[in-house]
Amino acid sequence: MTRTSDETTPDIEVHQLSVWYGQTPALRNVNLNISAGQILAIIGPSGCGKSTFLRVLNRMIERFSDVRVEGTVRVGSFNVLDDHVDVTQLRRAVGMVFQHPNPFPMTIFDNVAYGPRIFGMRSSTQLRKTVEDSLKQAALWDEVRGKLRRGAGTLSGGQQQRLCIARALAVNPRVLLLDEPTASLDPVSAAKIEELIVQLKSQYTMVIVTHNLQQAARVSDLVAFFEQGRLIEMGNTQEMFTAPREKRTEEFLTGRFD
Amino acid sequence: MKIDKVMDRVTHTVFALFLVVWLSVAGIIVWGTWRFISHYGFLSPILSSRWNPLAGQFGLWPFILGSLTVTVLAVVIAFPGSLALSVLGSRILQGIWRRYFVRLLMVFVSVPSVLYGWWGLIVIVPWVRRLSGTSGYGMLSASVVLGLMILPTFSILSLEAIRQVPESYVEGSVGLGATEDQTLWRIILPAARPRLVQAALIAVARGLGETIAVQMVIGGQIGGPGLLHPAATLTTQLLTDLPFLPPGVPGHDVLDFMAFDLMVLMTIIVWLQMRIGSWRYE
Ligand SMILES: Nc1ncnc2c1ncn2[C@@H]1O[C@H](COP(=O)(O)OP(=O)(O)OP(=O)(O)O)[C@@H](O)[C@H]1O
Ligand SMILES: [Mg+2]
Repeated sequence: MTRTSDETTPDIEVHQLSVWYGQTPALRNVNLNISAGQILAIIGPSGCGKSTFLRVLNRMIERFSDVRVEGTVRVGSFNVLDDHVDVTQLRRAVGMVFQHPNPFPMTIFDNVAYGPRIFGMRSSTQLRKTVEDSLKQAALWDEVRGKLRRGAGTLSGGQQQRLCIARALAVNPRVLLLDEPTASLDPVSAAKIEELIVQLKSQYTMVIVTHNLQQAARVSDLVAFFEQGRLIEMGNTQEMFTAPREKRTEEFLTGRFD
Repeated sequence: MKIDKVMDRVTHTVFALFLVVWLSVAGIIVWGTWRFISHYGFLSPILSSRWNPLAGQFGLWPFILGSLTVTVLAVVIAFPGSLALSVLGSRILQGIWRRYFVRLLMVFVSVPSVLYGWWGLIVIVPWVRRLSGTSGYGMLSASVVLGLMILPTFSILSLEAIRQVPESYVEGSVGLGATEDQTLWRIILPAARPRLVQAALIAVARGLGETIAVQMVIGGQIGGPGLLHPAATLTTQLLTDLPFLPPGVPGHDVLDFMAFDLMVLMTIIVWLQMRIGSWRYE
């Protein structure tokens, strides 16, 4: 996984981003940068726009009707909000993992091979290698080797979530978006996913939405705190947790939030 | 409380009545079938092709073949259109357009079958006549009419089948960079397949039982082989021979046997349909 981006230009650059659902604003003038290989954790109360922000980064937002997006967003070489951007290539480069594991109703193998096949990989040796590599990367290989022809539904919830991560990794993305990836899992499975995220650090730029503040503290390099569609504060994880600049952030982190 | 009790009694009574009627109909058919079989056997009338009930010849094979051919062909004809309409109604049209579309399909479902038959008579039969040089009456015309008749039902059932596919599959696919088309062919339709097959089977059951619309365009007699000659199905022949074989006439029992064969075919379809309903992807 060699990344050619140099350290100085950020991998993700968001400038004056605003989003409306109909007349209701969901994000207002958000500005932030993330360097390649960093993990940004997004925290904030329910409904503050965290998922909305993630879905802008791979344009999944436009699947909702009546959405308006303004501002500029750059991810790698993609000018995300440009009308002429190749959305399939953008989404290939910006993988997404959802709150509820959503493997396709197919075999484990076909799940992981789905993306590569979409992008034209036909050779079965190549596919096998890609599937194996992706499953290894997602720390699932040891549990599923020899069972690749089984239905994905036979896996446990945590395994399914790692399968979804493997599926996203199989198309060789640059960025991974994770929307509360452990929220629907038991603590042991959640811990495994967390461990995996830490392992994948530096290979991928990641944005993770989480309601679990300890999790944010454990995995991330940067933390962004959103409230009512605004980015209240963003900073280095350790500083955010020990000495937040904003009062609202401090109240949220200490649970004195109304 | 009181109303509940009344309602309870009403439902029970209605159910009991239904059961009695159903059982007596089934009983009459089974009884006639039994008398028929004990005289003429079970397999030989099914496999024979000579039909002259007044002379004691009861070959049902042409009608069974007619029923199966017309029905299967009708479903084959209706399938592409139904699939296209169901995709249109579930994935392409949005909001009120989708609602109006479904309502329109409902209207077509409720058109009485005699109107479809009439349309077949004035449009399809002349059309087949011109293209083939035959009379135009036959299994091909019947299949087209029946195909068009089951199209709306088939479409609505397929539309429901597609709507049952969880949006999370679609998001997963699109999120990887798949286009809507790729997602449709590789995720949505395969995931909906068991229910689509169920929809097709319901359409088959519907087609197998249809009488009037088919009778109007199929020609109503045993003609030559092939789709372009007059033919008959189990249901249309039942209708044709009913006046000639009133109860008491020797040979009347064959009508019960034909009804019985229809019931067996239907039961097989229902059974298949239930088997598929329990298909689960592990
Ligand atoms: N598809 C949509 N149509 C209309 N409004 C929406 C839609 N999705 C989200 N919203 C609204 O936009 C705001 C932000 O939603 P978003 O899902 O981004 O919040 P969130 O921070 O992810 O919340 P949670 O922590 O509950 O997941 C909320 O007020 C929500 O009700
Ligand atoms: Mg959310």
